Amino acid sequence: MSFFGFNTTLPRDRDRGPSSRGFFENPDPFAEVARASGIEDDDAIDFEDTYDGLGDQLDDDQDEFNDDTFGGGGDTATGGAVGRDFDFFGRTAQVADAIGEEQIRYSLQNPRAAPAAQQEIHAPPQPAAEPTTKRTGYEKYSDPGYIPDLQAKSSVWGNLQKKPEPSPAMMPAMPSMPAPSRKMMSLEEVEAQLRNQGHSFGHMAPQSMPQMHDPSFMRHPQDFPTLPEGFPTNIPPEILRAQLEKGGLPPHMAHPPPGVQELTTSPPQNLPPQGPRHAGPPAQRQQPMPPPPSRGPNGGLPVITNPQQLVHLTEEQRQAYLMEDAKRAKRNHKIFLLSRGNGLMTPQDKNFITRIQLQQLVAAAGNVADSDPEAVLAEDFYYQVYSQIRGAPRQHPHQPLGHFAQTYLLQTGNRIGGHGNRRAFQSADNHMQRMQQQVQRAVEAAKAKPKNKQLIIEGSLGKISFSNAKAPKHMLNIKRPDSSEGVRPKKLQSDLSVGDRKSLLGNIEAVYNALMSMEDMERTMPPPPEEGDTEAIQEHMEWRQKVQSLNQKLWQALKVMEPIVPNSTTPHPFIAFLSYAKGKKAIPRIFRHIDQEQRVTILTMIVVHLDSLDVVRLAQASGPGDAQLPVAVREAIDLFSLAVMPSLLGYVNEAPFNIIIGLLGLVIAQTQVIGVARTKIGLGILTMLLSRAELVKEAGQASERDWQQWVEKFNVLFDMLEPGLAHIFPGSINSGDDMYVWQFLAAVGIGASPEQQQRLVIAVKDRVMETVGYSKTLPADMASQRLGNVNLFMRAIGLDVELLG
Amino acid sequence: MLFFSFFKTLTNQTVTIELKNDIRIRGILKSVDQYLNIKLDDVEVLDLDKYPHLSSVKNMFIRGSVVRYVMLPRSEVDVGLLEDATRREAANQVGKAR
Repeated sequence: MSFFGFNTTLPRDRDRGPSSRGFFENPDPFAEVARASGIEDDDAIDFEDTYDGLGDQLDDDQDEFNDDTFGGGGDTATGGAVGRDFDFFGRTAQVADAIGEEQIRYSLQNPRAAPAAQQEIHAPPQPAAEPTTKRTGYEKYSDPGYIPDLQAKSSVWGNLQKKPEPSPAMMPAMPSMPAPSRKMMSLEEVEAQLRNQGHSFGHMAPQSMPQMHDPSFMRHPQDFPTLPEGFPTNIPPEILRAQLEKGGLPPHMAHPPPGVQELTTSPPQNLPPQGPRHAGPPAQRQQPMPPPPSRGPNGGLPVITNPQQLVHLTEEQRQAYLMEDAKRAKRNHKIFLLSRGNGLMTPQDKNFITRIQLQQLVAAAGNVADSDPEAVLAEDFYYQVYSQIRGAPRQHPHQPLGHFAQTYLLQTGNRIGGHGNRRAFQSADNHMQRMQQQVQRAVEAAKAKPKNKQLIIEGSLGKISFSNAKAPKHMLNIKRPDSSEGVRPKKLQSDLSVGDRKSLLGNIEAVYNALMSMEDMERTMPPPPEEGDTEAIQEHMEWRQKVQSLNQKLWQALKVMEPIVPNSTTPHPFIAFLSYAKGKKAIPRIFRHIDQEQRVTILTMIVVHLDSLDVVRLAQASGPGDAQLPVAVREAIDLFSLAVMPSLLGYVNEAPFNIIIGLLGLVIAQTQVIGVARTKIGLGILTMLLSRAELVKEAGQASERDWQQWVEKFNVLFDMLEPGLAHIFPGSINSGDDMYVWQFLAAVGIGASPEQQQRLVIAVKDRVMETVGYSKTLPADMASQRLGNVNLFMRAIGLDVELLG
Repeated sequence: MLFFSFFKTLTNQTVTIELKNDIRIRGILKSVDQYLNIKLDDVEVLDLDKYPHLSSVKNMFIRGSVVRYVMLPRSEVDVGLLEDATRREAANQVGKAR
């Protein structure tokens, strides 16, 4: 409150009732409000009820230290008795004029809309009315742009220097007036100046200057509750005012009733920040909230400046007056209740909270600094990839929420920087910088934070768990047995031969894990090394090595190379792998990561085990003539043709001819050709091989010897197939899907000799005729589709359905 | 984060949400957060005769903890990708637990 820790309130000030008490002495600034509400009940107002009698406690003896404090001789006007070495005072006094001028200049630069006329009403000292028009000392702070200057004001000290023994009648007026002093303007001069300018309230409030050292006081310009943190502090008062009025400023603050305004102008009409919510507790106390005796009745009633006057009023007047006063008191009380929390938090507190919130936001969202796509992908894999595949609803897929936090930070910075004056700008800038730094540090700390999610304070019963949005608080804290990690792999291996479902699924997962790590590797592929860049070459070599080892891992997991056990009851692990939908779906991805040799191995495995392949085995089991296979089998077949067949086809189309010959030989040697031919997948694989051979032949790539070999095999195959050709069609004629059969027949027909073609036509003639006949009963588009299928075959052997007419 | 990641892809899709008090609400998923709180727009309460008080509700915010089921549009779910995302999540969890 004071530089020196003394109570700087002068004893002569202390008799002015509430306003002269220390800053926070009054625990309930609205005691008078409550009292006033009580008055509503009993009509009479006793002066003693509202006057706290502090004047009686005036102790003039406590003046002794004033001289020590202020260096002014209590009685001597020279002021030299004590304070030769009290440099501060002396210097201040010397520049007092300059300070005063500066202040006037300042108030000129910050014009207020307050009408000069109004100023005149309360500017001149009116000793009798003064108790109501007490200066709060906060007038200055109603100007949002005001920055308290902490220079000692000469006017504060000036009083003492000259010490014009104030008469008791003058006393109330004294504090609000700069008392005359040697080097300063006279009282009259100051008054004249005030009338002319009608602005500078603060200038008239020397009393407030020592109080400025209170930190809570200094932050008032920022404390408007309706304004966001860091609101620019020098916006025009008009705007601020409008905002404040919008923000629920008590109406009487902004527009006091005419009568009241004239009488009790302590809250000047156009300076809303004087309201209690803005000025904080001290202002609440000093502002004469509802001191009933001092308020005037409605317009037309006599001016009440003294409690005694009230007694002389007519009953009616008094009633009206009391009514109005009670109303106001009620309103004020409401405001008080609302504003109870005002000023509890310093701007520093608010900044602190903001920082914490930002940290939460940033930590939850990933990081401001962390634009590492790897980390984002790890946390948000599905969304990131999905939006890449299908087009994201969000604009910046790689900056999910950290981006948001950053935007927030930048925006706040701009807003402050844009409007603030230099000082505000700098501080705001620093503030934002600090905030950003702190956020970054917090994020780093969070990254480095030890893994344990709980803190158990010694001796306490509870635990404190840390959580964030990414890792929510665990409701259950289950300890994983460490052994489980060690045991499981062993179990997997021992179970392999058993081939039970669980271990098979485990195998599939192992394949997928290997696949995913390979796909990750693919993304991190270093750029192809340039010539001579040994480092890049080295890097590339390392990467290749890693890929190679992953490839081996994948290959192991696939178990393609497991020995083939003839006549075993359990299927080969790879065939078992293919019997699961997951396994089938993995094939296209696997094919992308393995070399040709591995591909041919897989194809060979499939061909060798064609009989035991689930899609073949189960399709055969249903027997000929059964139109409908079980749904699960049909789905499996569809999936196989969608997922596995294209990969196989892709390989076969590039495979050398001798491999095709070898595969056809395997089909003939290892499988029941007729049975295989009755299934869609079996036929598909046969078609694949036959058509590839035909393409090789037409391209002229086949050597004579190879071709001879092929024709031999083909003849064997044809002979094996011929008896079953009538049964390779699925179900009856009206079951739609027989295209693959016609495709197969076409493939056979192209490669067949004329004699074989003859036999082929004889074998399937009935089906051809049936289909042509049936298609006549179908709608045009379906009919043409069916005929088109038949035509695939017919054209292969040089015919056309049209010829059948 | 898997579910958050997943539901984010369903924004602006029509979903049906069944709450733990059996109320079923169909609406357009506007947004979802880490707690799987859900914002729905253009809502339509199934079994409206049972819950007439909801007849005038046009949009709502549902706390994640009261949701029992979210019924999804099938075409909007990439099952293969979701499987992989699940594998990754599981791998992450194992990595974290260690």
